[in-house]
Amino acid sequence: MMAEWKDCINDLKGVVLDICGVLYDSGEGGGVPIPGSVEAVKRIKASGLKLRFCTNETQATRDKFVAKLQRMGFDISVNEVFSPAPAACKILKDRGLRPHLLVYDEVVPEFADVDKSNPNCVVVGDAADNFSYKNVNEAFRVLIGLEKPVLISLGRGRYYKETDGLKLDVGIYMKALEYACDIEAEVVGKPAKMFFQSALADMGVEPHQAIMIGDDLVNDVGGAQQCGMKALQVRTGKYRPNDEKHPTVKADGYVNNLAEAVDGILKHLGE
Amino acid sequence: MAARRALKAVLVDLSGTLHIEDSAIPGAQEALKRLRSAPVAVKFVTNTTKECKRTLFERLKKLQFDIAEDEIFTSLTAARNLLEHKQLRPVLLVEDSALEDFQGIDTSDPNAVVIGLAPEHFNYQTMNSAFRLILDGAPLIAIHKARYYKRKDGLALGPGPFVTGLEYAADTEATVVGKPEKTFFLEALRDLGCSPEEAVMIGDDARDDVGGAQNAGMLGILVRTGKYRQGDEGKINPLPYLTCDGFPQAVEHIIENLL
Repeated sequence: MMAEWKDCINDLKGVVLDICGVLYDSGEGGGVPIPGSVEAVKRIKASGLKLRFCTNETQATRDKFVAKLQRMGFDISVNEVFSPAPAACKILKDRGLRPHLLVYDEVVPEFADVDKSNPNCVVVGDAADNFSYKNVNEAFRVLIGLEKPVLISLGRGRYYKETDGLKLDVGIYMKALEYACDIEAEVVGKPAKMFFQSALADMGVEPHQAIMIGDDLVNDVGGAQQCGMKALQVRTGKYRPNDEKHPTVKADGYVNNLAEAVDGILKHLGE
Repeated sequence: MAARRALKAVLVDLSGTLHIEDSAIPGAQEALKRLRSAPVAVKFVTNTTKECKRTLFERLKKLQFDIAEDEIFTSLTAARNLLEHKQLRPVLLVEDSALEDFQGIDTSDPNAVVIGLAPEHFNYQTMNSAFRLILDGAPLIAIHKARYYKRKDGLALGPGPFVTGLEYAADTEATVVGKPEKTFFLEALRDLGCSPEEAVMIGDDARDDVGGAQNAGMLGILVRTGKYRQGDEGKINPLPYLTCDGFPQAVEHIIENLL
């Protein structure tokens, strides 16, 4: 473990944190902070390392989401958070795309400035209970009726952890629509390279000077590594023991939680 | 050509081969009688996720076909056989009208998931429950994986997209039991005690009936009725063992050449 830590923190200037499963677990009543995480975020900021948050959260607007985390005691602000909906809006505007939204009601305000009339594409997010057969079918009908169907998926996660168990994520419905229409979706958010790169650019830090900490082996850890970052997997959130035997993605380190990750980073940074 | 083993069984598709909706294919009833005078077992096979065996049987009886209900083998039957064979207790995500074909199967403390065409079950809650079972190792059995179908009010998603989604979620592969899957044909032949090489399939769907059967090791006879369109025989590889005008001609060929 010593050698691995040295590799991870060599020339370390910035930290990128996933939110769900690292800072807190979502669920009834808004969710519960993971023990030690509030303190861990404070310690990163006090150390002089730059910090950004890369989340695929699409059940709320950034404003509401960050406000909730602040109420839990987290030292976090909106301009430190990178989430898929704002990134998608930019893409929609740049390409003249007018979306049919298959998303959670509370994230719709993020798309307020986007023309949604006469849709020529579908944007799918983590819609949870909005993934009724009727709603998924409606999105399908929009796509199948287009000469050039465009499907934008806000992330491609398989599942996430809430306080009452694992829940299906946007990736499932992305795959369902891909299969139904025989098309390929464009992913905005983790693990798309552009998403990590925008956070790094905002910090003014090169990939090899940054470390990502997340609970999703493929989308957080794998995605960050694809960009040239180091990445740690926490054993909280959606982590499952089998993750440590994954055939293709191997984290640079596995830690019990964010607090332990920060302990290791700060301890070895001082050496 | 290498000699094949003697024919022991004939599988016959229903819709498009023996009848089209409420009309029998001309001469089909007599041809079936002729087939029954031969020393072969006969089974009637079809993909369906909504109609139970009894409904299909009653339709054929009305059309004067000499048939017994237990000779009908559907994709629902294939699913049932698989469950019994592997002693699985399923969550049945199928239409109510199809539940009859699963009567007697223990569904308590489920350790398998069966998915058919059942829009009312494809809601987030039910999908989540199914996902959690599958993630823990429960086999996922799909009646078939159609992408979509035509309803009166437009196109509607079939079970395929939801099965694909669950496969991705749990990083697993579904066992698809309907035509043209090998499983379907092997299950149909299982209780006849004969191997695919001792059987022939007659159907109007080049890919699902003939292609599927030949892929399972059977001979395939394509009939030019029902959904057949000119040139369909060229769409599968290998070509059908025989393409002929209809079920009566297929039966003639079998009696004259394969017994």
